[in-house]
Amino acid sequence: MAHDERPFTISVADAELEFLQKKLALSRVPDELEGADWDYGVPLADVKRLLLRWQNGYDWRAAEAEINKIPQFTRQIEVEGFGKLDVHYVHQRSTVENAIPLLFIHGWPGHFLEVRKLLPLFTTASPDHPSFHVVALSLPGFGFSDAPTKRGFNGAKYAETCNKLMLALGYDEYVVQGGDWGSFIARILASKYGHQSVKAFHTNFPNVREPPSLWTHPRQFFAHLITPYSAAERVGLERTQWFVAQGRGYFHEQSTQPQTLGYALADSPVALLAWIYEKLVRWTDAYPWEDDEVLTWISVYWFSRSGPAASLRIYYETIAANEYSAILPTSTIPCGLSFFPKELTIPPKTWARTIGNVVYESRHQSGGHFAAHEKPEELAADIRAMFGKGGPAFGVVSGRAGYD
Amino acid sequence: MGDSEQPFTLSVSDAELEALQRKLELARLPDEVDGAGWDYGVPLADVKRLLARWQNGFDWRAAEATVNKLPQFTRQVEVEGFGELNIHYVHQKSTVKNAIPLLFVHGWPGHFLEVEKLLPLLTAASPDHPSFHVVALSLPCFGFSDAPAKPGFNGAKYVETCNNLMLALGYNEYVVQGGDWGSFIARRLASTYGNQSVKAFHTNFPNVQVPPSLWKNPQQFFAHAVTPYTAAERAGIERTQWFLTKGCGYSHEQKTQPQTLGYALADSPVALLAWIYEKLVQWTDGYPWEDDEVLTWISVYWFSKPGPAASVRIYYETVVSNEHPKIPTSTIPCGLSFFPKEIIVPPKTWARTIGNVVFESEHQSGGHFAAHEKPEELAADVRAMFGKGGPAFGVVSGRVGYD
Repeated sequence: MAHDERPFTISVADAELEFLQKKLALSRVPDELEGADWDYGVPLADVKRLLLRWQNGYDWRAAEAEINKIPQFTRQIEVEGFGKLDVHYVHQRSTVENAIPLLFIHGWPGHFLEVRKLLPLFTTASPDHPSFHVVALSLPGFGFSDAPTKRGFNGAKYAETCNKLMLALGYDEYVVQGGDWGSFIARILASKYGHQSVKAFHTNFPNVREPPSLWTHPRQFFAHLITPYSAAERVGLERTQWFVAQGRGYFHEQSTQPQTLGYALADSPVALLAWIYEKLVRWTDAYPWEDDEVLTWISVYWFSRSGPAASLRIYYETIAANEYSAILPTSTIPCGLSFFPKELTIPPKTWARTIGNVVYESRHQSGGHFAAHEKPEELAADIRAMFGKGGPAFGVVSGRAGYD
Repeated sequence: MGDSEQPFTLSVSDAELEALQRKLELARLPDEVDGAGWDYGVPLADVKRLLARWQNGFDWRAAEATVNKLPQFTRQVEVEGFGELNIHYVHQKSTVKNAIPLLFVHGWPGHFLEVEKLLPLLTAASPDHPSFHVVALSLPCFGFSDAPAKPGFNGAKYVETCNNLMLALGYNEYVVQGGDWGSFIARRLASTYGNQSVKAFHTNFPNVQVPPSLWKNPQQFFAHAVTPYTAAERAGIERTQWFLTKGCGYSHEQKTQPQTLGYALADSPVALLAWIYEKLVQWTDGYPWEDDEVLTWISVYWFSKPGPAASVRIYYETVVSNEHPKIPTSTIPCGLSFFPKEIIVPPKTWARTIGNVVFESEHQSGGHFAAHEKPEELAADVRAMFGKGGPAFGVVSGRVGYD
């Protein structure tokens, strides 16, 4: 229904900008142990430098204007049991009429802007690779979408929201790409709507934390038994080990007491900066973050429609609904995996293949969790290879093969 | 070496009070899911109410004056590898000359003021119960003590600080009482200095999370094998389950990324309030917190000498030093008090692996902050353990607690 859609421009009120500056002017930072570096968390020097820049030099209006070059919209999506949510999304069509509709789903602490560098790569026309019509939403509770006001907005609800958005845009069949929560939601989309509206999915976050079991994945079970881990896989397991032992404090808090933490993220821009920046650095592969780039990222959270506290609830709701630790239901639709060495959970291939009907794999020498932001060329190349002519998922969407 | 003891008066500057008020005026609160109750963390209504009170009505100067009724001091304490730390402590002697020297050790998110209600009970003179000279320090990184500037200040260093303090006060032999980190420190004081300066300890936090092993504690192992759990013990196991699955998020963050969390606690009084208040409520047994009582508690953290971020480092340091979960034991007498809403409530056979348990007391109510919630009961337990006819009577030479 075209008339339901409204073009969207980010326009943070002057009052909000002034309020943020007032808070920054009053910030109080802690001390730090000598030589702490990154051992105890975000180094003080980083926070001080970013804080200073945020107060003096960082230009939100300029960043906002850049973001507004991306075609954005909002529309109301009815989600069963939750009424209508106003959902914000990027929608960029390719000039290729038969481009493949692709839904890009972010995670936490990500947001819709993670699609930014991929957009030109996906939508551009070429005889040598397929093109995509790209939709990248702000998940409910994030960015410029509404947050649900009732409890229970779990993975299934996120999937429902995504599917309804794509259908509302006239994409009766589409493919999905996601990392972090986007990976989780992509997998739920596949299992709920696979072969109906959802025709294939790709993820750069093959989040499998256990070896294949004999009963559910006998083929992978035996492959796993007899295949030694490669050097890369052993390194991957160590990275996973690090994450589980050292890097999951945020997960435990967010999945059990999101409101308590929420007070910190809502009230203190410094708290929000540190909490998210820690992940931007630790979860990437030496990505050369620029201060303004970081501040734009954090600002999207600070100025988000529902506030930063709402973004944490997905951890609580999915755990409370037992969706997270249970083995996710799979689908037979084609699935593609990209492995980046500094991802958080890097399973050996035999484990990862239990995600679904894995028809495409690609292993990279560098890159981390925020692949779309760190390695857009590589990620785009993977997806083109998966869906392009001669690729294992070519033509999954009827009448939209990605070429004119 | 001169005595560096100085009397201490808490006196937060006007500038600090104003800075806090300016921050409170600019507080920005999140929304809340409908009907959240306590399921998602601290309810918004509680935070709003406390915030409003903090801005208007809560009188820090009055609270400060009450705190200053406690006899407080500071002195320099040398800690190997860390130089001298200025340590803040309450020191109240009993009128009973031969009172038993007792070191009270707080935890997180506790502080030295947890001893407040115990002081009159422990120091009072009576023929019917023993008396104590009480020392309650602010642990390094907490309250009005220094924080060390270098990494590595682990449990062993906390223990050394406590022992050096007691020795500096002239207490060559003493007993220890502690909950939370105070329990961890008491147990390590026992294993490091047991039968030397440390003669006995009591804890209301019997933190044992595994059943007795055949090899280490054969007696408890067999007792455990044949003794069914009581109803209270089964309830305790459920309480422990709740804590380990729902209540440990703070601990996971604090032991891995204390600095990251520290930015929140240092910058936002609302963040600090929520982070700590959650524990004050969830870890106690229906304790009727008054708003000003909560705000005083939080303010001690906000106005603390090293700042609130330093207080969470103990989690990190003890983990990287591999001081968990095994705490070495000692043969000195040990007493346990069980409160049903403690956060780890092991069955008795498990708890007895803590050490040479000579005293046990089981309560029908009370939680983690026993000294604050149940001072009469806790004092009664400590008196029973150390009094005439008690299992730890006379452990400190020449200071049996009676004149």
